[in-house]
Formats: sequence, C-alpha cells, structure tokens
Amino acid sequence: MSEKIVIRPYEVVGSPQCVASEDGERVHALIKTALGEKRKVDLSFENVSVLTSAFLNSAVGQLYGEFSETDIQAGLSVSDMSQEDVDLLRRVVETAKSYFSNPDRLRRARREVLGEDDEQ
Amino acid sequence: MVFPLGRTRSDCSGFDQLTRLAKSLELVSFDKVDIDMSGCTWFDANMAAPLGALLYRASHQLNNVRILGAPPRLENILRKNEFLLNYGRLPLTDFNVTTIPYRRFEPTDGRYFGSYISKYLQGRGMPKMSAGLHKKFLESVYEMFSNAVIHSGTTLGIYSCGQYYPNVHRLDFSIGDLGMGIRENLRRRRQLDLPPDEAIVWALTGTNTTRTGPIPGGLGLKLLADFTTKNGGRIQIVSDRGYWELQGGASSARLLDLPFPGTVVNIELNTSDTKSYCLSSESNLGDIF
Repeated sequence: MSEKIVIRPYEVVGSPQCVASEDGERVHALIKTALGEKRKVDLSFENVSVLTSAFLNSAVGQLYGEFSETDIQAGLSVSDMSQEDVDLLRRVVETAKSYFSNPDRLRRARREVLGEDDEQ
Repeated sequence: MVFPLGRTRSDCSGFDQLTRLAKSLELVSFDKVDIDMSGCTWFDANMAAPLGALLYRASHQLNNVRILGAPPRLENILRKNEFLLNYGRLPLTDFNVTTIPYRRFEPTDGRYFGSYISKYLQGRGMPKMSAGLHKKFLESVYEMFSNAVIHSGTTLGIYSCGQYYPNVHRLDFSIGDLGMGIRENLRRRRQLDLPPDEAIVWALTGTNTTRTGPIPGGLGLKLLADFTTKNGGRIQIVSDRGYWELQGGASSARLLDLPFPGTVVNIELNTSDTKSYCLSSESNLGDIF
C-alpha cells in the first residue's frame, strides 16, 4: 500500500501566512497531481499562523471542479489545524460544492483547466 | 484647480467629500491640483487610503498635486502615517506607535503586504489583543487585500492605512483600490445590472460570487461581516455610488451622490473584545470534505 503524501502549506508557501490566492495555487497543483495519481494526501497545516478563504479556495476549493466529492473524501485529509481554521475550511468546502453544483460553472471550470477559452 | 477638503470621517459625509474630489479630478490632466485642507477640522487617518488612491490617480494623469493649509495637528498625523511623504513633507516619528502607515501596493505584493501588516500591528503602542483576536484581525485584513486583488482588476494599485485610538479601544483600517467596483464586476461577469448599493448587498448574500472560473469564491466579505458582528466593530464598504455599513449587527445601505472610482473597505476593530476566538489545537477534522 502506498504511503500517504504529506503536503505542508508552510513549506510550499515558505511562510506561516497562507493568505494569497496564488500561493494556494501552488498547494493546489501538488494536491491535484497526487490525487490524479490516486495517491492519498494529508494536508498538514503545522506552523501555519494565518489562513484566508482566498488561499483555501485556490488550494482546496477548486478540487471540486476537478474531482468527484467521493474521490476527494477518499484521498484527502487535513491535520494540525485549529478549530477556527477547520471552520473556515468547512465554509470553503461548502461554498465550493455549492459553486460547482451549477453544471454550467463546472463545465466552464473544466474547459478552463483544459486550456480552452470560455469567454465569448 | 483647488479643492477645499473639509472634515473627513469614516462615514457617509467623509466619502461624500472624497467622491466630490474624485469627480473634480476626473478629467484633469497636466494641471495643478491643490488640496486645500485649511478648513479641515478632522481627518480620520485611515481615510488617507482612499484619499491617496484618488491623488495617486491625479498624479498618474500628470497633474502636480499639492496638499496645502492643513492645521498643524492634522499635518503631524499625516506625516506620522507617512501619507504626506508623497507630497513633499518629511516623516515625523510616531513616538506613540499607533499608526499603520499609508502604503500603496501592486496586486502582486501580497507578501509585502503581509510583512507590512504584521510589522505594524506589533508596534508597542498597538493594542494588546488576545492571540485569537489578533489572528482574526490579521485574517480579516488579508481577506480585504485578497478581495481587491481578485475582484478589482486595478492597474493603479491598492492603498491601505490604519490608526489605533487607544482611548476608545478602536483600530481603524482601510483598504482601497481604483478597480472596476462591485457593480461593474457584477455586470461584466454575471450580466446582473443592479444599483451600486444593491450590488454590495448582493456580494454579501449567501453563496453569491462574481467568480466564473475554476476557483470558487465569494466568502471574503461575508467572513469580514461575520467577524465584525461578533467583535462589536464596524465595517463600511464603498463602491461606485454604493455605501454599505454594518454596525452592532445591523446593516444599512444607501446611495452616495457621486461614485467612488473603485472600492474601499473600512474595518473598525473593537480592541477591547475579550470573546474567545478559539485557537485550540483540539479540533474535529472528520467529515470536512
């Protein structure tokens, strides 16, 4: 059985402040690759002092436009997070599920991921 | 042109002043722009952020901008927070360390903004907040900055400034941009044409977001509003002609007479808040996804 891959936003961002959307993108790219390879991922927030919804939307929220909820539940776990930050992550996840429940948005998001232009 | 700038507080009347200034500056270029503050009896220091945004645009339109006649007390405040350094004054040491200096950022300056806010919030004159409140406030201002980065489309920067008032236990902080504003964002991305005040209310409602791409969003302003309500503070959002305020858990919206050419978010933190903002490491990590 393959070992869980630990992704540490602190290390990826290089700072305890995980706040910018583009830093979330860096974390997202790693999670996406690992989940795409059917590997299990633990997202460890150890030493992260500040988090924003912008960061989490990029890092985690957009996964819901790329993977099924079942695949995310099976493949992704989080650790070393304060209750406040867990609450924030829950809101981000709920918002992402709601966002991608619109089939047009899901289609558009997937098109954009594939590099096709979605602007008319 | 000469613009007489009167008393400017973080309220409707203050933004009325600034939107009148914005209107006056709209088509002015290769001119002298004198901001006459001789009749200004009060200027909330954080309002240097939206004022700075307007004056930066005026300079960008190749006007010679001067600030004249400010009463000494006001002049000192605006030198301490380094705003007037942009207009030929020398800095004045802030011995009380109660200012978060005026700065202009590019949308790509997220990390620089992070260092700035962390550095100045730790000044010895800054409030001794609980660790939880400190973290929530930091997160709130980052949400404000991220919001400007993601939604404004500004090419002229993001402006911030703050001031702590120890006697009343309040910390005011403003972030402004010269972007398209919430109403225009809604019109372009969602084809929704709402009056500017209603556009702000829309952005604060439920799961509404102007995002259309692969990254979901729409939480930043709602988190700010939730935190402000719990903290007993105040938040104002001005965008185009929309003015929205939340205080004591009650919100109100109205139209300004003239538009602000971008968006400004002001947050007033109640620094005497002793409520628990949990930092416990004991948390329920199951069932998140």
